[in-house]
Amino acid sequence: MFLIHCPHCQEDRPEIEFAYAGEAHIVRPGPEQQDAMSDAEWSEFMFIRDNVRGEHCERWWHANGCNMFFNAVRNTVSDKFIKTYKIGHKRPSASQIQKWKDAANG
Amino acid sequence: MGEYRKSGKGRVDHSEAVRFSFDGKSYEGLRGDTVASALMANGVHLLGRSFKYHRPRGAVGVGFEEPNALVTVRRGKGRMTPNLRATALEIYNGMEVTSQNRWPNLNFDIGAFNNTFSAFFPAGFYNKTFMWPKSFWDKVYEPFIRNMAGLGPAPTEPDPDVYASTYAHCDVLIVGAGPAGLAAAIAASKKDQRVVLVDENTELGGSLLGATGATIDGKPSEAWLAKTIKDLDKAQNVTVMTRTSAIGFYHDNFVALSERLTDHVPSLKPGQSREKLHRMRAGRVILAQGAIERPLVFNGNDRPGVMLASAAQTYINRYGVGVGKNIACFTAHDSAYQAVFDLADSNIRVAAIVDARKELAADILAQAQSRGIDVITNAVISKTGGKNRIKSIEVYSPDTGTKRQVNCDALLMSGGWTPSLHLWSHSKGSIKWDAATKVYLPDQANENCVCIGACNGDFGIKTALNAGSKAAGGRKSYKVEEADFGQGQIFDQLPNYIAPQKTKAFVDFQNDVTDKDIKLAVREGFKSIEHVKRYTTNGMATDQGKTSNLNALEIASKALGKDAPQVGLTTFRPPYTPTTFGAICGYRTDDLFEVTRKTPIDPWAESQGAVFEPVGIWRRAWYFPKPGEDMHAAVARECKATRDSLGIFDASTLGKIEVVGPDAAKFMNIMYTNPWSKLGVGACRYGLMLREDGYIYDDGVVGRLAEDRFHVTTTTGGAPRVYRHMEDYLQTEFPELEVWLTSTTEQWSVIALNGPNARKLIEPFVEGIDLSPESFPHMAVREGKICGVPTRLFRVSFSGELGFEVNVPAHFGKYVWETLFEAGQKYDITPYGTETMHVLRAEKGFIIVGQDTDGTVTPHDAGMSWIVSKKKKDFVGKRSLQRSDLVAEGRKHLIGLLTDDPNVVLEEGAQIVTDPNQPIPMDMLGHVTSSYWSEALGRSIAMALVRDGFNRMDEELYIPMPGGVNHKAKVVKPMFYDPKGERLNVL
Amino acid sequence: MSSDMKFDQGLTLPEILSGNDLKIMLLPEKVRYSLRIKPSDIAAVNKASGLKLPRKIGGSNLGKDQFVMCLGPDEWFVVANVDARDRLEKIFAKLEKSFTLSITDVSHRNICFGLMGADAVKAVNIGCPLDLSLEHFPVGKVTRTVFESAPIILTRTGEDNFGIECWRSFAPYIRGFFERYATDKAAA
Repeated sequence: MFLIHCPHCQEDRPEIEFAYAGEAHIVRPGPEQQDAMSDAEWSEFMFIRDNVRGEHCERWWHANGCNMFFNAVRNTVSDKFIKTYKIGHKRPSASQIQKWKDAANG
Repeated sequence: MGEYRKSGKGRVDHSEAVRFSFDGKSYEGLRGDTVASALMANGVHLLGRSFKYHRPRGAVGVGFEEPNALVTVRRGKGRMTPNLRATALEIYNGMEVTSQNRWPNLNFDIGAFNNTFSAFFPAGFYNKTFMWPKSFWDKVYEPFIRNMAGLGPAPTEPDPDVYASTYAHCDVLIVGAGPAGLAAAIAASKKDQRVVLVDENTELGGSLLGATGATIDGKPSEAWLAKTIKDLDKAQNVTVMTRTSAIGFYHDNFVALSERLTDHVPSLKPGQSREKLHRMRAGRVILAQGAIERPLVFNGNDRPGVMLASAAQTYINRYGVGVGKNIACFTAHDSAYQAVFDLADSNIRVAAIVDARKELAADILAQAQSRGIDVITNAVISKTGGKNRIKSIEVYSPDTGTKRQVNCDALLMSGGWTPSLHLWSHSKGSIKWDAATKVYLPDQANENCVCIGACNGDFGIKTALNAGSKAAGGRKSYKVEEADFGQGQIFDQLPNYIAPQKTKAFVDFQNDVTDKDIKLAVREGFKSIEHVKRYTTNGMATDQGKTSNLNALEIASKALGKDAPQVGLTTFRPPYTPTTFGAICGYRTDDLFEVTRKTPIDPWAESQGAVFEPVGIWRRAWYFPKPGEDMHAAVARECKATRDSLGIFDASTLGKIEVVGPDAAKFMNIMYTNPWSKLGVGACRYGLMLREDGYIYDDGVVGRLAEDRFHVTTTTGGAPRVYRHMEDYLQTEFPELEVWLTSTTEQWSVIALNGPNARKLIEPFVEGIDLSPESFPHMAVREGKICGVPTRLFRVSFSGELGFEVNVPAHFGKYVWETLFEAGQKYDITPYGTETMHVLRAEKGFIIVGQDTDGTVTPHDAGMSWIVSKKKKDFVGKRSLQRSDLVAEGRKHLIGLLTDDPNVVLEEGAQIVTDPNQPIPMDMLGHVTSSYWSEALGRSIAMALVRDGFNRMDEELYIPMPGGVNHKAKVVKPMFYDPKGERLNVL
Repeated sequence: MSSDMKFDQGLTLPEILSGNDLKIMLLPEKVRYSLRIKPSDIAAVNKASGLKLPRKIGGSNLGKDQFVMCLGPDEWFVVANVDARDRLEKIFAKLEKSFTLSITDVSHRNICFGLMGADAVKAVNIGCPLDLSLEHFPVGKVTRTVFESAPIILTRTGEDNFGIECWRSFAPYIRGFFERYATDKAAA
């Protein structure tokens, strides 16, 4: 059972309080955009997800905590969380993720 | 006292005899004995029969690594535990132990014919033999395998014991209380931190319990151990847990500890937990699990009396038991010599030490010679003699070809040592192959965790103590005088002059896997150790190959001509040692196994004899049978009474979410398909919610209490997911909206009143609300009081009758229900359950999300296009509804079905076809989703999802059933009762 | 009929839960409100209401009039005795006029267990996965978390004093664990 650092509570909390919520940084198109999208483009948004081996940006929900959704970078091979951050922050770049990893490794 | 017991020797209490029975015969042991040590003290080595060949077996080890000596313990009704290791089982007065896997008795076992015919049971035997014909599986193969391949029998009665569980936290968790773990605990105790030290044994000490003779800091090791235990006991910040196995190591230093509380206690107290699971989160984990001695793989190595040298050493030093009176030893490692010397020094005759190595250190040889022990180097054991206990060995010198028989009544063996990597591997720490000692060692840690002492390949007491101190931040350098741990040589195979087909050298004792099986697997093409393991079952027994994995790897890699690391190592998985289901469940059994949510009115329903059904994790009243009534009769009566006069129904489980804020209507517009901006305050509207993929997700009635406040209801099972769905969109897609969500499901008890007399019933109890139809029309909500408590009163109907849903604060729910029920007697008020609710709504064609829809049904498919706004720019699911697949012809549509025979109630889930005589597989059009007897119509009704259903009105379809019955039914609109809705308007 | 007779939390606690090391009680009738306020308004709301809402998630303020807790970045929970209802609702009505916020009465949604005694920490930890050492969970800390499968709000009002708030229908489930724990303790 992981300890997950909630970026709102600012503390490590047991995984059992959280729920996974899928891939992060997939923006729902606004109504005008939706109308302009072909079925193929809409299906891409609706159904197609990355299946990353390595660092993955994903959403978590602190359901039995502060009730906030937030994002995380997690390594899908080691399962380890690299960093959690609030919704609204941009998708971290590869170099940013590397910096976080370096910081975590001391 | 047994004839093999050495008076005054060991850590057992020689003044306290303990009587127990084994296979019905009474034996005497001492306080502190295990079943194995006590039986050996009485000269009993034959403890069980092997798994496949039913060969006689005795204890190989002395603790939890034991592969052979599995026994069953019975202690009264329901208390029966099979497959316990006799070597780790403490005896108590009156304990009943039986051997297993033998029939009719241990000394004469019918199944042993497998041994005679063992040539027919090679590796993969089961895979190869029990393949066809298919019909043989049920009647022949499965019963055969079950009978022959049994471990102990599974208990057949419910377990009367209770179990406990808890979460726990510490800063340092130390697993294993040998010298390394003890030194770590002492060092850790000196800092301001919470320290937990666990050990699976009954007492602390680890290898110090079995190997005596060293001095630590000037004290004999026993005295040092006693002092250390006392120091740890005194340290306020240290918790010591014995009889506690660390069974699994999970992410972020989460370690499961299973503590055995009563298995060693002669008399059980009622209510006392048998075992306790500690779900421990540690800041840092120090693994000091030690190492396990490796058997040697030679012909006849499984005869009772053949055991690990360290085990024999522990039997003498810890339990005061000589494993024989005239022992021999077969070794490839120096450490076995110290074991033999300890036995020799206890006046046990040593017939010979056979050493497979060519050379031996001079000082060891000298020590042996000084004791008069015959050491034969560069020799092996080619066979062993004896039936139920070893009687002799044949010593073979391959260089000279000479053979010599040596008589003995026990044989010590040592093939070197295997560091215990189990928990380290659970934690996903990496391992590396050490070519010099031919073992895997811990490499990179994946958690804040370290391996120390023998499990890190660091042998010897001094090394272990210093490593322990250092691991816990100490700097102590221990002064130790000890025998040199020495070195050894690893052999994949020992030479023998006997043809291989006539030998049986066991690698995995518990699963009866021999060296030949492993070689056969390699010949048959298995190249990875993971595959060899599954084909031969090596390491797949209850001991998970603690004594066999590395021997198997050595043999397989040699047969493949590859280095061991290229062949791999099988994966260690939790639990480290067999664990009871009771411990895994802890307190979570029976009514605590899963939450059962009950409404405030539930006790009333129970007192009325209601039959309940689970809905999600709620339990709901299903129907209220009167004496003599079956479900059909009860539901028919409830339906009729409701339509004729008045029914009362507990709808408290409906999910409720309060949507509040200036942007509440905007948010509702996004979440539901229909528009909300123009809904007036005090009005209600039915809402339909889709997922982004356009399929129906939930529905419910929503009341607007103020411009900025909506009272949203959801389905009973849907409440949590709807709340999550709403929070998700609000927080992540529409954070600019000023609106907040609060779950109020349990704030309100909901009493639904349906029937022509509903208004008349509540009128006298309501304050502050004008109930007249003009000021309180259908689909309206008002706030006021009922029975003196606050209410949100909805005029809504899920039955087609005049209906009210009385919402009152939950803790008043039962009171209001009882008050209304009493007053309703003059209207013959009838309580009804979920079944009647379903019938009444089906008569009106109202859908149940999740029953009439299945996650692939659009509003149009459900005949509900009317509720999808064409004007709104956006709502969840809008764009998906335009996808070509979702507007295509020929989708399944929700329609009504009326059977030809009005008395036939179709089965829900039954498939529907056009022609029942077409060949199988038939073209299935869809299935029945809802089906009931309608008392109001005097016939059956059904709803179904049918391909192109809207274009099949009046068509006749068939519902074929098992047994050749074909029901005929006509497609109709799913509206069976009062299609104009006139009954809502009763005055 | 008096209000007392109408009020029914549907739960009784067995005798075994009133020991020396551990006493578990059911809190009597309370009023409870969920407050949702924009974080930028906290100071102004505090000034206007006198509620002393803590700013930090997990913070609380236990006064003689009410117990206010911060559960999320924009979420507060207010618990008070029943006789405080009118006073609080007056304050809320005033706030609703001046601020964009959400106030929802959830008085009857919850039931609250009070735990006290030297074994209170152990009793909470049988089902709650949080580290309750004073360093990690000091007096005054509150949080939503779980007790086995039940969502709860855990509050610590003293070194050996805890509150467990849960939704009404989860209360018998949580009580069941306490009963087994106490039975166990009595037998050991």
